[in-house]
Amino acid sequence: MDIELVMPVLGVEIEEGQMRAWQKSEGDSVIQGEVIAVISTPKLDMDLESPATGVLKTIIVDEDEIAAVGAVLAIIEADEDDATD
Amino acid sequence: MPKILHVDPSLTRQKTVLAIKSIPIHAYDTPLATERAALGDGRLRRMLRDMMIIREFETMLAGFKGQGAYAGIKHIYAGPAHLSIGQEAVAVGSAAALDAGDHVFGSHRSHGEFIAKGLSAIQKLGGDALSQIMEGQAGGQLLRTLEGRLGTNDIRQRAEQFLLFGLLTEILMRSNGFNGGMGGSMHAFCPALGIYPNNAIVGGSAAIATGAALYKKLHGQGIAVANIGDGSTACGPVMEAMNLAGMGQLTNLWDEAYQGGLPVLFLFHNNFYAMGGQTNGETASWDRLSRLGAGFNADNMHAETVDGTNPLAVMDSVRRKRDLLIARRGPALIDAECYRYVGHSTTDASAYRTKEEIEAWRSVDAIAGFALSLKAEGILDDEAEAEMLAGVKQTIQQITALSVDPEASPPIDIKADPFAVGRLMFSDELATLPGGGALIAPAETCSRVTQLAKRSRVGKSPEGKKLSAMAAITIRDALFEPILHHFQHDPLLIAYGEENREWGGAFGVYRGLSEILPYHRLFNAPISEAATIASAVGYALEGGRVIVELMYTDFIGRAGDEIFNQMAKWQSMSGGVLRMPLVLRCSIGSKYGAQHSQDWTGLVTHIPGLKVVYPATPYDAKGLMASALAGNDPVVFFESQRLYDTTELFQPEGVPTDYYRIPLGTPDIKRAGKDVTILTIGPSLYKAIDAAETLATEHGIAAEIIDARSLVPFDYDLVLTSLAKTGRLLLVSEACERGSFLMTLAANIQRFGFKHLKAPVEVLGTPNWIVPGADLESSYFPQAHDILDIVCNRLIPDLARPATGDRLWDNVALARQGL
Ligand SMILES: Cc1ncc(C[n+]2csc(CCOP(=O)(O)OP(=O)(O)O)c2C)c(N)n1
Repeated sequence: MDIELVMPVLGVEIEEGQMRAWQKSEGDSVIQGEVIAVISTPKLDMDLESPATGVLKTIIVDEDEIAAVGAVLAIIEADEDDATD
Repeated sequence: MPKILHVDPSLTRQKTVLAIKSIPIHAYDTPLATERAALGDGRLRRMLRDMMIIREFETMLAGFKGQGAYAGIKHIYAGPAHLSIGQEAVAVGSAAALDAGDHVFGSHRSHGEFIAKGLSAIQKLGGDALSQIMEGQAGGQLLRTLEGRLGTNDIRQRAEQFLLFGLLTEILMRSNGFNGGMGGSMHAFCPALGIYPNNAIVGGSAAIATGAALYKKLHGQGIAVANIGDGSTACGPVMEAMNLAGMGQLTNLWDEAYQGGLPVLFLFHNNFYAMGGQTNGETASWDRLSRLGAGFNADNMHAETVDGTNPLAVMDSVRRKRDLLIARRGPALIDAECYRYVGHSTTDASAYRTKEEIEAWRSVDAIAGFALSLKAEGILDDEAEAEMLAGVKQTIQQITALSVDPEASPPIDIKADPFAVGRLMFSDELATLPGGGALIAPAETCSRVTQLAKRSRVGKSPEGKKLSAMAAITIRDALFEPILHHFQHDPLLIAYGEENREWGGAFGVYRGLSEILPYHRLFNAPISEAATIASAVGYALEGGRVIVELMYTDFIGRAGDEIFNQMAKWQSMSGGVLRMPLVLRCSIGSKYGAQHSQDWTGLVTHIPGLKVVYPATPYDAKGLMASALAGNDPVVFFESQRLYDTTELFQPEGVPTDYYRIPLGTPDIKRAGKDVTILTIGPSLYKAIDAAETLATEHGIAAEIIDARSLVPFDYDLVLTSLAKTGRLLLVSEACERGSFLMTLAANIQRFGFKHLKAPVEVLGTPNWIVPGADLESSYFPQAHDILDIVCNRLIPDLARPATGDRLWDNVALARQGL
């Protein structure tokens, strides 16, 4: 099952963030809660954790790109048993 | 906050007890014979003589205050005289254990420490060093006066005369005093002899000495001593300083070369009283002052109580503490118990203590007691003692005669030179950057630097669309760039404040710097606004350069004394001897209500001695920060939290990548016009621009908008030139109007440019009530429609524009209600 990784709400009045670095590449397996990317706001850098255990299927927002809050950054293909939780 | 310090619940939640080591009380019992063998008779006799000098010196001051005469010399002295008669052994014993290069910071009652430290330094310095110091004092002026009038061929004797003469003329506020008469009794000092500012604010020296110790740890040698009273243990900033001096990071996180607590000794001259308030038993909760040490670290700050009537007991203790401090095991605390027989000041009737108590302490008098023990040991006899005292009296009398003589010691002639004091407020120097600031990684590797390299330097796309804060350089970035530049080129520059390191400053200005700066150049300060700023004062006046951050301007209250009395004053009170290269960054908030949203520029502009800036654009922020960091004067640098994400919308070329400076004090035209002048401070610039747009499109009125940028200094010429053109002026800022800097500007412009005015100068600040919550802020901070209302109804009343009425209030009626 595909799960979206989205740009989180970063604070009042902050409408977008920047993908600073991906810690994982497409095809890498990821664990729920594991830091897989770092995003930047004008004020701070923030770790982004994987929402599920599975495989990082597609990266949608590349490093240095800016994305609006709520935008989909990547798709995680969750493991079956994980998805049934 | 550092991730390497793991907070482990399984450890921290274990049942255990906290073992507290015992604290020695009057442990000193070294036989005099042993001290004699180690020190020699000469040194012991000198300690006695030094105490006599202090007592005679202060007896002279008491004479001047009380009877207007001393030893036949008539003089009325109007200034303060907080005497330490009875406490001399603490001053002399401690100074004997210090090196010439150790620095003492004292209190209102510090003549004794001044003299003792000076005499000790004179013994320890070579003849060449002494003549250099004397020649260096006001171009050798003080020395020349002495040479013409008092004979001696001995350089040490000459240096003693110099010490006492420079101190007394300073106390009498003569132009040839050590600080040009700008310090006086409570603030006299002489850095060349290791005597640093004495402070009339109780406890003020604690955190300043702590900052001096930080400088010594990083760039100097020796230790710093805070000579403060028992009463000061109740002062918050003293507690803050003791914590700051032993912060865990100093041993846990700082680089090997700088590890260990700060080399500062908190030396409490515990005379059992504040003024009339008795510490132990009445106003203090401690029973023994030294107990305080146990509250700060497992070493109890090496605290001990010593007999402050015995110079040898004090010397022994200070020496041991000094060794610990040099071995990086600071800070240290000594409780030296002593007694002042005289009043707190000369108007003190001693209503709070009995004659019996004073007599009991006189019976253990430091000077008489020490003389007796020297005699018992065969180091001194009655005749030698009498000779010693006679010599001391003669010296003090000679110095006194010379000091009151207006020929030898001219009073400050303010009529001949009306700017004699004013000239000392700022040095207006620009430092040259030495280069070679230590980094742990090259600046190019800093993630922020690589990020910023990809951003647009202008705030608009070629099509005129505003770029977001992620796409273009913002004020936050524009502040970062010159700060980074100075870190690269100024090895003495350090920065600290709450959440400054990993967090990058509460609002991210320093983000990325922790990747390239070692801990000792960028660190998280405790929530101690007072000690943070006072320690920065100490670091700066030792010769360093420092940026400290106040998370919110509203916290200025927590550091009022440190900003208003310390940071602002030491350049001028030193008579130009010291510099204060300190930049205090203050962030002005919003949305967090009444205690987190106040523009307090008016508070700091009110205090002489501070330069004050408040940029509103990235271009200005960058250039002004560079100037603030390059100058040697203290600067309060205001930043608006609402503007951190603002990009450059005025400079067509954007924010230059290269380093540049904008001189402090120069306002700037942000939009040219001919019909009305609008002068703004801070974020109001943008509201004025919006209003100007409406005025132009709907009324054909061309408003000229000037951004003040700096508040102190401030060059009125630009505004007056604009006023000559427009004849009408509105001032706008986000500070509440009463007592604001806007009002100062308005009053001055009205005075200086009255002939140009076609209408009264109008002021639009915020109402004189608290900042309301986030949802009501737009009714509080001036908006474009408020500006339009005033321009169209008051400045150019023939413009037929319906008023919104939000801010067209009857200000006279409001004032009547205190609003
Ligand atoms: C902040 C502050 N509060 C009050 C005073 C007024 N004052 C001057 S000296 C003094 C007593 C200080 O007592 P202590 O620290 O024990 O020093 P001592 O006078 O005994 O040398 C007071 C209250 C001051 N100068 N500064």
